[in-house]
Amino acid sequence: MTSMSKLLALLLAIVLAAGACTSSTTDNANTDSAAPADDAGETSDEGEPSDDADTEEEVVQLVQDEGGTLDAVLAAGVVRCGTRDALPGFAVLQNDGTHEGFDNDFCRAIAAAVLGDADAVEFIDLETADRFTALQSGEIDVLVRNTTWTASRDGGEGATFLQPNFYDGQGMMVAADSGIASVSDMDGTVVCVASGTTTEGNVANEFARLGIDGEVLSFESTDLIQEAFIAGRCDGWSSDVSQLSGLRSAFPDGPDSLTILPDVFSKEPLAPAVRDGDTAWAQAVNWAVFATIQAEEFGITSANVDDFLTSENPSILTFLGVEVDGATLDPGLGLPVDANYQVISQVGNYGEIFDTHIAPLGLARGENALWFDGGLLYAPPYR
Amino acid sequence: MTPTAKPPIWRNVRFLAWAFQLVALALVVTLIAILANNVRVNSANLGVPVGLDFLKQPASFEIPANEFRSTQSVQSAMVQGALNTLRVAILGIVLATILGVLVGIGRLSGNWLVRNLSRIFVESIRNIPLLGIVVFAYLALVLSALPSVQESWELSGLVIANTRGTSGPWFTGAIVNVLASAALAGLVAWLIRRWRLSRLDQYGEAPNVFWWTAPVFVLVMFWTAFLLGIGVTTPMVDGRRVVGGITLQPEYFALLIALVIYTASHIAEIVRGSIQAVPRGQAEASMAMALSPVQRMRFVILPQATRIALPPLGNQYLNLLKNSSLGFVISYFELTKVTSTTIGNRSPAVPAYLLMMLLYLIASLSISAVVNFFNRRLRIH
Repeated sequence: MTSMSKLLALLLAIVLAAGACTSSTTDNANTDSAAPADDAGETSDEGEPSDDADTEEEVVQLVQDEGGTLDAVLAAGVVRCGTRDALPGFAVLQNDGTHEGFDNDFCRAIAAAVLGDADAVEFIDLETADRFTALQSGEIDVLVRNTTWTASRDGGEGATFLQPNFYDGQGMMVAADSGIASVSDMDGTVVCVASGTTTEGNVANEFARLGIDGEVLSFESTDLIQEAFIAGRCDGWSSDVSQLSGLRSAFPDGPDSLTILPDVFSKEPLAPAVRDGDTAWAQAVNWAVFATIQAEEFGITSANVDDFLTSENPSILTFLGVEVDGATLDPGLGLPVDANYQVISQVGNYGEIFDTHIAPLGLARGENALWFDGGLLYAPPYR
Repeated sequence: MTPTAKPPIWRNVRFLAWAFQLVALALVVTLIAILANNVRVNSANLGVPVGLDFLKQPASFEIPANEFRSTQSVQSAMVQGALNTLRVAILGIVLATILGVLVGIGRLSGNWLVRNLSRIFVESIRNIPLLGIVVFAYLALVLSALPSVQESWELSGLVIANTRGTSGPWFTGAIVNVLASAALAGLVAWLIRRWRLSRLDQYGEAPNVFWWTAPVFVLVMFWTAFLLGIGVTTPMVDGRRVVGGITLQPEYFALLIALVIYTASHIAEIVRGSIQAVPRGQAEASMAMALSPVQRMRFVILPQATRIALPPLGNQYLNLLKNSSLGFVISYFELTKVTSTTIGNRSPAVPAYLLMMLLYLIASLSISAVVNFFNRRLRIH
């Protein structure tokens, strides 16, 4: 009997505690913007994301707090960047545990701009289908993961897309001996793609436009696509041209056994994304990307950036955060005045990042050249 | 304390029992309310919709082998996914039961080779994760074994096998007509079976059910098919594809094989246990009556073992249905694959997954209902 009443008392205590939790949750929802300092303080001891229930709750509060990500990143001293670990050229987890790639370098540029340290990045590998959930839930601060900016993702995923860092387009890869010269030869074929992407719909639309008939098979992992492709399950392998180039360069039978068809049948602006309603953080990420583009426009590289600190050109001095006539420009982006200098000296300009990671795949600059070279890269003036 | 004194309320067993139930109920309701409220508040803050409006949007992806166009709605995609789940689960349940019963009986066989082969099958398959079996079946058993479409295997123009699928002859015309024709033929055959059994009861005539019903079934189907304009097509290789007939995808095959052998290894153990649970005297009595080993199994042991095996078998059927969700790894468009694809194409995750779980729940409860129905019929009153 006594043990029964003890149990009863315990249950009552749990119910009371649970009730208290509900009311406090709603309180936070109503008053979250009133105490941003509190929230930043709470997250500072969090550091690494963990499975701990308390931490989860703090992250959720953080998400609810508009404009909190920049403060949270400054407090934590690290940018949690959502990437992937096996995309040649864009993001590859090396054998020694370091991350090398185009997307990784843009994560580093963001960290250099915000925190002054390009290594203050925690890379979080995400599956394609999980990437927006990870962003929405606050597991990552920014998504730089070959993600195409589309209207319905902008509207429906709780994500805000920023300045694209790579202009891509979807293409088709076939076996070199298949006798297929263009997509219009592909009547009655099967095309393998990665699932959870815009790729599936684009292939279907292109086939419909050409009036030909085909099947699209979508797989969860690139390895399985490759196995299916080798076994002859599919005739074509469709993805963004940049990805196909990377996959082709690492194909087991050698790159020459595959051909990328000349057709490019979609616009794929790959852009970083942050959570909706977080303007301060969005601006910080945007201007970190612009810094790399503007640096290339000025001809500043990681090697010669220190020479430009004594430049005659006031625009360049302003851009690098150097005092001009006793005044230093702080555009009010929430970034340190030397943010651009840190990005260029620690990571490099856009052309350097491209040449290191993308050029070895055999891809030309194309749309990813500067605007005065016929490309689409154009940074707003830094003044 | 005198025995007649009323105990205080905190020692009153009836009160405590009620209080306990009420507290438990309050706890459950509170937990659900907290979770639902969290989802609602967080989704509203993130600007993520939680309603079912996404079902009306175009799906933007195709479902291979189902002629599902990317312009059709998410709702039709979910329905198609659920149908594909049932397609693999129902056939899988039938085949796994047959294989499982055979292996289960084999484990008790007097033949050394059969007994040990059955044992190796059970002990190896049921100790491997199903995901491994699914991927292995797809890559090693199906894709590597089959030839490319240019070098298809052909069996006198009736069956064609390659990595695009295995094709066989099929009916032309609306599927409803085919089903109606089969249903009519089945009804006629069932009536004849009843008549034969009544002759057996009344006059002791040999029923010969199969030889009476089978020709009638074929004849009725043939004539109704002719009247409803149902024809037959055979598959044919045309360039890179197979046209005509019916094609079963390699993904379907691989998933089916994996589910069948995995579930059969569990069913075999249930069957073995159930047979051993039938009292030994039953087997001895049937031997005394000079029944052959097959007759003994068919008429004495298995009917009694079935009664014991049915509830755990039902569990295995539910497992098979749920395990079919692993088809998403090898691109078989069952319910899970469709749900995760539509989420990747910007359907909101929470309502889409809730809907998926609800559909699985409905399918599971339906299977349970069927198993329970037979369980009640087999019960000894």
